[in-house]
Amino acid sequence: MKLDFLGRFSRNRGALAGAVVILGVALLAILAPLVYPTDPLRIVAQPELWPGEEPAYPLGTDSLGRDILAMIVHGARATLLIGLFASAVATVIGVGVGATAGYFGGWIDEIAMRAAELFQTIPNLIFVLTIVVILGSTLQNIVIAIGIVSWTPIARMTRAEFLALRDREFVQACRAMGMGNGRIILGEILPNALPPVIVLSSLVVAGAILFESAVSFLGLGDPNVASWGRLVGDGRQLIRSSWYICAIPGVAIMITVLCLNLIGDGLNDALNPKLRDR
Amino acid sequence: MTAISSRQLAALRLLRRRLIQAVPLLLGVVVINFVLIHLAPGSFLELMTAENQVSDPATVALLRKTYGMDDPLWLQLGKYVWALLHFDFGFSYRQNMPVLQAITIHLPATLLLMVSSITLAFAVGVAAGVVASMKVRTAWDTLVSVAAMFFFAAPSFWLGIMMIVLFAVKLGWMPVGGMITIGGGGGILDILHHLVLPTLALGLFYAAIYARVMRSSMLEVSQLDFVRTARAKGLSRRQVTIGHVLRNALLPVVTILGVQMGTVLAGSVVIESVFSWPGVGSLLFDSVSSRNYPVVLGILVLGSLVVIAANIAVDLVYMWLDPRIEIR
Repeated sequence: MKLDFLGRFSRNRGALAGAVVILGVALLAILAPLVYPTDPLRIVAQPELWPGEEPAYPLGTDSLGRDILAMIVHGARATLLIGLFASAVATVIGVGVGATAGYFGGWIDEIAMRAAELFQTIPNLIFVLTIVVILGSTLQNIVIAIGIVSWTPIARMTRAEFLALRDREFVQACRAMGMGNGRIILGEILPNALPPVIVLSSLVVAGAILFESAVSFLGLGDPNVASWGRLVGDGRQLIRSSWYICAIPGVAIMITVLCLNLIGDGLNDALNPKLRDR
Repeated sequence: MTAISSRQLAALRLLRRRLIQAVPLLLGVVVINFVLIHLAPGSFLELMTAENQVSDPATVALLRKTYGMDDPLWLQLGKYVWALLHFDFGFSYRQNMPVLQAITIHLPATLLLMVSSITLAFAVGVAAGVVASMKVRTAWDTLVSVAAMFFFAAPSFWLGIMMIVLFAVKLGWMPVGGMITIGGGGGILDILHHLVLPTLALGLFYAAIYARVMRSSMLEVSQLDFVRTARAKGLSRRQVTIGHVLRNALLPVVTILGVQMGTVLAGSVVIESVFSWPGVGSLLFDSVSSRNYPVVLGILVLGSLVVIAANIAVDLVYMWLDPRIEIR
């Protein structure tokens, strides 16, 4: 089963390429302190060196003379971590709400689904900005805020899976054996409901990276963290003379999000072979 | 005659149902955001008194009383909801006008950007999806997928800046930002000219989603029995695609359109900042940084109201597209 899954995933060339690139970015993020041991926000050369102008700074320098490549490498860390943690927060909330709603049904389900509707109604980025401003622009608060606006699709998906599984024979057998609800939900149904939820979570990572980049771009990110979105925002003043300062971190965001989406598509195909030809 | 009126009746029933459902939803929006705003450390009063250099404790106490800040939270919430029912969103000391007025001044610009972006996304996305599905597994299909992947991954604000660099700074075809040309501008053509780049920056992301959904939906519908029947009747491929497949394949696109309304509104906040578009986004930004919470709260509540209204409209369109469905 597992080999079968890996085989199907790796036959999807796009997904494989995406996985390779993301692994590379992740490696870069992990090794950032080794590759560029000094503070990436340190001024190292003359400002506004174009990419290629000076071999020591292959991607050039920004308006203050900071090495753009060093900032991109360190920014990968912040960007990926925020994406992963925000997706984790969204998945925990979404699975919790969705599983409870789908398993118990009735008024619990009704309340949970109304809550999901509520969070889909509030314009998401405005909500994130408000949360971040009120609770403070720290990494932790940004992660929580993005998680709070991203859990609803996961909850709906988990609920649908639980609705489909909760009356199956193996669950009834567990009930007949006297197993408690908690054990049935976590130990029996959840493992079976998880595959489509994982696909969605991988897509939420991509969405979370886009959210974070927008928050940082608007200048409301954590001031101590140079994520890619903030680099785009910092370069905005100089688009007439040195537009590359904006362009480069944006390309980094785009490639990362693109590859995460490819991985999501590949997971989806591999986990739901029936839908492959669509 | 009776057929028409029964459909109209169904539409009215749907409308009434949706309006009734909207009430608790909106109340929930108000409660969540009200509580969130009151979690803020320090009140806008502190900023206001600091800005106006008021330090006399008696004046501050009077202001606290005027703004009802010494009441328990539930009472403040109750008063706020009661005021909302009378279209009173509070007063914005910064603009020195009622919050509702401050927002409605900026709302048309944002709605214009929203509507034009959604229209562009819908038209481009549906057209691209139809082309891809009719020429499946050809260069056209690949082109659409690659373009969709690109625009689905590009941050909208970055796309906007890159378009400014190319079309405004380098080529000089488009204005760099704003809504009208300062001095002499202001006609419809002038506004449309300023609208092009922000619309592309915001809309292409959604066009990418709709193209993908439309393609798979077209392929799915074209395998259904009624399509084969239509072909067997002797209709041409084009007639079947336009007349039978397209209409049915639009349903999933319309569904996600409704779900994403809030996202589009929120996305316009960022795009407005990139293009100095004078919409609600700029007001939100100013209010957030000056902790002018009555305005922030008002924008969240009104924004949600816009989303709810748009969703109701989408439901009606959905019903018109697929008369079989009696929406719950």
